[in-house]
Amino acid sequence: MSSRLRRALVDAGGALVFPLIAIVLSFVLGAFIVLATGNNPLTAYAALVRGAVGSPTAIGRTLLGATPLIFTGLAVAVAFRAGLFNIGGEGQLYIGAITAAWLGVTLGFLGALSIPIVLLACVVTGFLWGAIPGILKARFGAHEVITTIMLNYIGIYLTTYLALKPLRTEGLVPGTDAIDFAARIPFIGLGLGRANYGFLLALVAAVVAYLLLWRTGRGFQIRAVGLSPGAANYAGMGIGANTVLALAIGGAFAAIGGGVEVLGVYGKMTVPFVTGLGFNGIGVALLGRNHPAGVVLGALLFGGLASGAQEMQFSTDVPLQLTSVLLAVILLLVTATKLVELLFGKRARALAGARLEKGLG
Amino acid sequence: MTEERTRGGTAGVEAPVVLEMRGVTKAFGPVKANDGVSITLGRGEILGLLGENGAGKSTLMKILYGLYSPDEGEVFVDGERAEIRDPKDAVSRGIGMVHQHFTLIPALTVAENIVLGAEPRKGATLDLAKAIKDTEELSERYGLRVDPRTRVADLSVGAQQRVEILKALYRKARILVLDEPTAVLTPQETEDLFSVLKELVADGLSIILITHKLGELLGISNRITIIRDGKVVETVEASGTDEGALARLMVGREVLLRVEKTEAKVGGPRLSAEGLVVLSGAGAKAVDGIGLEVRGGEILGIAGVDGNGQTELAEALAGTRPAESGLVRLDGEDVTRVGANGRQGRGLAYVPEDRGAKGLVQDFSLSENNALKTYDEAPFSKWGWIFPKAMRRRAAEALRAYDVRPPDPDARAGSLSGGNQQKAVLARELSGDPGVIIAAQPTRGVDVGAIEFIHRQLLEQRARGKAILLISLELEEVRSLSDRVAVIYDGRIVGEVGPDATDEELGLLMAGRTGGEKDA
Ligand SMILES: Nc1ncnc2c1ncn2[C@@H]1O[C@H](COP(=O)(O)OP(=O)(O)OP(=O)(O)O)[C@@H](O)[C@H]1O
Ligand SMILES: [Mg+2]
Repeated sequence: MSSRLRRALVDAGGALVFPLIAIVLSFVLGAFIVLATGNNPLTAYAALVRGAVGSPTAIGRTLLGATPLIFTGLAVAVAFRAGLFNIGGEGQLYIGAITAAWLGVTLGFLGALSIPIVLLACVVTGFLWGAIPGILKARFGAHEVITTIMLNYIGIYLTTYLALKPLRTEGLVPGTDAIDFAARIPFIGLGLGRANYGFLLALVAAVVAYLLLWRTGRGFQIRAVGLSPGAANYAGMGIGANTVLALAIGGAFAAIGGGVEVLGVYGKMTVPFVTGLGFNGIGVALLGRNHPAGVVLGALLFGGLASGAQEMQFSTDVPLQLTSVLLAVILLLVTATKLVELLFGKRARALAGARLEKGLG
Repeated sequence: MTEERTRGGTAGVEAPVVLEMRGVTKAFGPVKANDGVSITLGRGEILGLLGENGAGKSTLMKILYGLYSPDEGEVFVDGERAEIRDPKDAVSRGIGMVHQHFTLIPALTVAENIVLGAEPRKGATLDLAKAIKDTEELSERYGLRVDPRTRVADLSVGAQQRVEILKALYRKARILVLDEPTAVLTPQETEDLFSVLKELVADGLSIILITHKLGELLGISNRITIIRDGKVVETVEASGTDEGALARLMVGREVLLRVEKTEAKVGGPRLSAEGLVVLSGAGAKAVDGIGLEVRGGEILGIAGVDGNGQTELAEALAGTRPAESGLVRLDGEDVTRVGANGRQGRGLAYVPEDRGAKGLVQDFSLSENNALKTYDEAPFSKWGWIFPKAMRRRAAEALRAYDVRPPDPDARAGSLSGGNQQKAVLARELSGDPGVIIAAQPTRGVDVGAIEFIHRQLLEQRARGKAILLISLELEEVRSLSDRVAVIYDGRIVGEVGPDATDEELGLLMAGRTGGEKDA
């Protein structure tokens, strides 16, 4: 038992080695960029950290930013466990957003009671929407990367049309009607600013994703299909059915993310709506090694950097975009394992888990 | 630890020593895969490496080839200390390796595969004509027959292996390591391979050969180093020993090289096929109208040269590949339209020939693999939830019962040695008390001790009234276990003989000469 615990800890530690090295390296690199802009890196980074976790409001901002990324990160991670690349998080999130914007208004008279109903509806629409590329793959062999990318466009334009035409508000700002405050996800309070209970929902979603993948028969199948289609087929598992399900479940996660943004943050779907959450979810999942716990940590990093960047830009001359550079470098290093090996030798790589050696037979 | 070296150590090498590994130690966590291993290899010599599954042979060779770095120990090439950090270092030292699992790219041609990474160039482009010429020259010189222009995907296993060897030779290898090269070869292909190896050593190359087939090792090697539990037990001259002695040295006890078979108590038919037609992946008729019947308490052996439809037959019977037409019956019930899952639920066990890609999920733990087919049944599951603890407990029992090493349910399947992976598959398939067993190449890559064990298990199942279909390329195995032997050729059963059929009889049938016999 204790040896298993130790192994689990070593595994978790190993999984963290790469991201941590990557983060440190990116900050070192970023320091040179800050220097080049004529600023003091220490002041800039101090402002960055302050803006991310320096006060309850800052923490609230970080949580607020991390929330949708946890959902879209899970959308990528679950599909990835089945060996599929879900690039469709953006469109799936929009589908959830429009579902929530429409139902949130329609069911607004129910007050808080409408929240679970609306979110459940997001699960359904996201699931169905996510199933489309799954069916296209299982039936016709269409590659999910292509179809999910294309479905992003369809999803974004479809929801934009719905928000601008049938569901358009009377008001000045283009978009849907505002949802009744009673029917929105409430703020957490505690001085955390606009952070809402959506963050807790995201944590619950991560736990659900974990349980689904590692504690249910369906998750067992999804992981088997992802790791070895040949062995899964041999064991009598349906490859097609699991492909459809994994993408559909991913879609559902992203869609709740959209629903939570509407119910918790904006109260409606404006046009233009927030962009990039789906795509950043890919980065979050990469950083989190497609593990729900990793996804949460990755999303917090993304959220923290975004929130800290505002403070940094405010109190120094360093532009917001520095954090995009930092993130890009982090992702590059996390994915380019060979590079880290070059920099730190094989030992770092070995530490990062025997997993990497598997290809050597 | 080098004092372990006894008679036939360095002393046995007459030719100049080209390679010496000294005191090599390598641990994976608590497992010491190599523990102070020292070997020497003379020029023009074939050194056999022998040892049980998991003894550490592949690990030692992977260290030599720079795939693993040793915790301790040194490597000397031509008397000079060699620091081998990765395969590139190994290649530059003249070391070549043919892995147990091939590393070729199926979509490329033979010539392209051979020169890949060391391409002859004309300006900035690949000089394909030169690549083809070089390949032809090499293959001519050593009798490694293969057409440089064919795509690797279209080659037989034996031919792919020749490409692997050519690849090493193209990189000027003078020390060639072959890890279980004959496990996947037919007897004829093995003979061809060995004549190539003899050519190579005559030309001054030195070879390290790993195989579990004692007869082969005695026939071709000069000396044999025996490894047990990561340590060198002894190095012996091949001319001064025999199979029994080798088996004793590697296992540490007496091994029965042939198991005793009791009288068959044949019951009713349990697994049968009628007019079965199955397509291969490429769409050709791989199985072309096969009818067969296996009764309880008997073993029906299927003999034949590889690639005559055995794989497709097994898969169609097990339900992992659809039948184009025909019938499959399990205990009298028509299961042609029932999937693999349903057939397994009706008591069918299937040991697939390709344990790496089918029998196991390499990145699953052993306990997950042990539950690969039963994860959704009690006691592993209830209402869709699975219980890893129950899986672990059951796996621990099965692994211990089948002597899988290490018997650790949390170990990743891919970290096991080849033979132990095979035992893990058998443990899963046989421990569920199946009524019908399809066993394809059940002893591929396992050591003599484990072969004895697996054969005993199969015979025990037979004694308990189970119906067993044994598909094997090893004629010896088919003959010693089966009650009846059906010979498959070109997707058809061309004849059925008793287990005492002569080599000639079987050989003729396997070559497709039926002599007017009717279907089995
Ligand atoms: N990458 C790895 N991670 C953890 N353990 C390993 C790894 N590779 C090998 N081992 C362990 O080291 C031991 C030796 O394995 P190795 O593959 O060298 O055996 P082998 O002699 O080649 O056996 P076989 O005849 O079955 O191929 C085994 O106990 C195996 O489980
Ligand atoms: Mg081996």
